[in-house]
Amino acid sequence: MGIKIANFEMKNPIIAASGTFGYADEFEDFCDVSKIGAVATKGITLEPRSGNDGERIFETDCGMINRIGLENIGIERFVEEKIPVLKKKNIIYILNAAGSTIEDYSKLASIAHKNGIEAMELNVSCPNVKSGCLEFGTDENSLYELVSRVRKNYGGCLIVKLTPNVTNIENLAAAVEKAGANAISAINTLKGLGIKIEYLNGKFHKKEVQGGLSGKCIKPVALAMVKRIRTATKLPIIGMGGISCLSDLFEFISAGADAFEIGTQNFTRCDICNTLADELENFIKTNGFKDYEDLKEKIKEIK
Amino acid sequence: MKKIQKGTIKKNRLIAKDTFALEILSDVKEAHSGQFISILCPPKVLRRPFSIKGFKNGTIEVFFKLKGEGTNYIKSLKEGDNIDFLGALGSGFNIKNKKSLLVGAGIGIAPMLFLKDELNSRGIENFLITGFKCENEVIKGSDKTVIGGSVIDFLPEITEKFKPQIIYSCGPEIVLKLVSDFAKKHDLEAQIAMEKVFACQVGVCRGCVIKILKDGKVQNAAICHDGPVFDAKAVVWE
Ligand SMILES: Cc1cc2nc3c(=O)[nH]c(=O)nc-3n(C[C@H](O)[C@H](O)[C@H](O)COP(=O)(O)O)c2cc1C
Repeated sequence: MGIKIANFEMKNPIIAASGTFGYADEFEDFCDVSKIGAVATKGITLEPRSGNDGERIFETDCGMINRIGLENIGIERFVEEKIPVLKKKNIIYILNAAGSTIEDYSKLASIAHKNGIEAMELNVSCPNVKSGCLEFGTDENSLYELVSRVRKNYGGCLIVKLTPNVTNIENLAAAVEKAGANAISAINTLKGLGIKIEYLNGKFHKKEVQGGLSGKCIKPVALAMVKRIRTATKLPIIGMGGISCLSDLFEFISAGADAFEIGTQNFTRCDICNTLADELENFIKTNGFKDYEDLKEKIKEIK
Repeated sequence: MKKIQKGTIKKNRLIAKDTFALEILSDVKEAHSGQFISILCPPKVLRRPFSIKGFKNGTIEVFFKLKGEGTNYIKSLKEGDNIDFLGALGSGFNIKNKKSLLVGAGIGIAPMLFLKDELNSRGIENFLITGFKCENEVIKGSDKTVIGGSVIDFLPEITEKFKPQIIYSCGPEIVLKLVSDFAKKHDLEAQIAMEKVFACQVGVCRGCVIKILKDGKVQNAAICHDGPVFDAKAVVWE
């Protein structure tokens, strides 16, 4: 069930999505982390970040809104404290990197390269921080510039994660390919606003959280984006957005995805990545497909 | 030890207005007061955390109050039904061999009752005061029950009489803040069990962080993972 993107080998096509799986080893009590295809780390910046103040989570119908604001331990501590653990435990990981300037990303790329980090996913699409990040993800010229610069410093598998909060995702996908990335992952969260109003003891109470919407409710948007990206590039696509079951994987394959990331569903069923990998493997075996590639081809052929 | 648990419902009964006591048979080996379990409530995305009210030979008891779809689902569970939960999670109360005052508010009585049992079994003298909004919401088991008013108003008098050396508390944030202020004023140690909406339940998503003072620095702590019990002195209130 292993798959390969550029020189990066994953144990299977199921990846735990950034921000929903910490630095991976925290999930050991809840699933078999070493069996997951790969784990995308929490978005990591040059310096540690403490994230946003105030409420950070809002549950919606079939989804949730978050505004964590990239709370993370910073690249230095990640390299020193987390990489040795991940290696020792044989956990395949992807460094999810975020910054506010091209320099931030280039520096992160050099550090990743120097430390033998095999895969890096550029988060150019976080809706929850004030500067940078999302701006790169919405303008094809700056995105091209950013990815080219990172490419110069980084020899590993370079994945660029796109935001759905744009009008023309095809141009962005094309820019990413032209700049030399190895794959595209999509989608990051959608901009959303949660408002809850309660009337208690004769008084109104309001909770309002603006942030990134994720979970089952965004799947149709994600499928549409993956399909549009597919028209613009030959790069492998890692599809995500609301995936929760085996048939979702088929739908993403049909739209053009080659691998998958699972985000919010980890919160609902923390062994979902293991479950999906097992179910996928089982499906391939019991239905006489040669391998995962064969299954993918057959699904894409469906008229 | 894997903390994903499949349990079966042993009992699910009404104990006060819109409030239920749920007993779950499970393979859980250990649980302490202040810890919680997180119940999967289809069709909701996020699990619902509940403070543990009691634990004996694998049977976990929690109290829950009807709030919406999630708790309505739990209410619908009957004896013998399966239930998917994570636990026991979080760090519980750090029990000290000191005369203990326990302050609960509303459903926050649940971990206080568990703590009371743990203190009693260690022979540590304790006194539990709990406040409820109205008569029909009262859950039994306290040494003093306050109805309608604020438990905080009774703390001076009880402290005077009972002379506690430590306070433990669970309830809405406003109560915890007042308990913390009271403890500070009387130079008493206090441990409080905090609450917020949890997404991941295990500390990775950083959705439920509060600010605490640790090693001389203000830092983030995830309630679900680093708590839910915190030393009241360490909590930096927003
Ligand atoms: C709590 C939370 C935190 C997230 N943090 C990050 C992050 O740090 N970097 C990133 O690229 N994406 C982040 N995401 C986005 C997810 O990786 C994913 O793109 C999105 O949630 C859609 O997938 P899903 O519907 O399966 O959750 C986060 C999502 C959630 C719910």
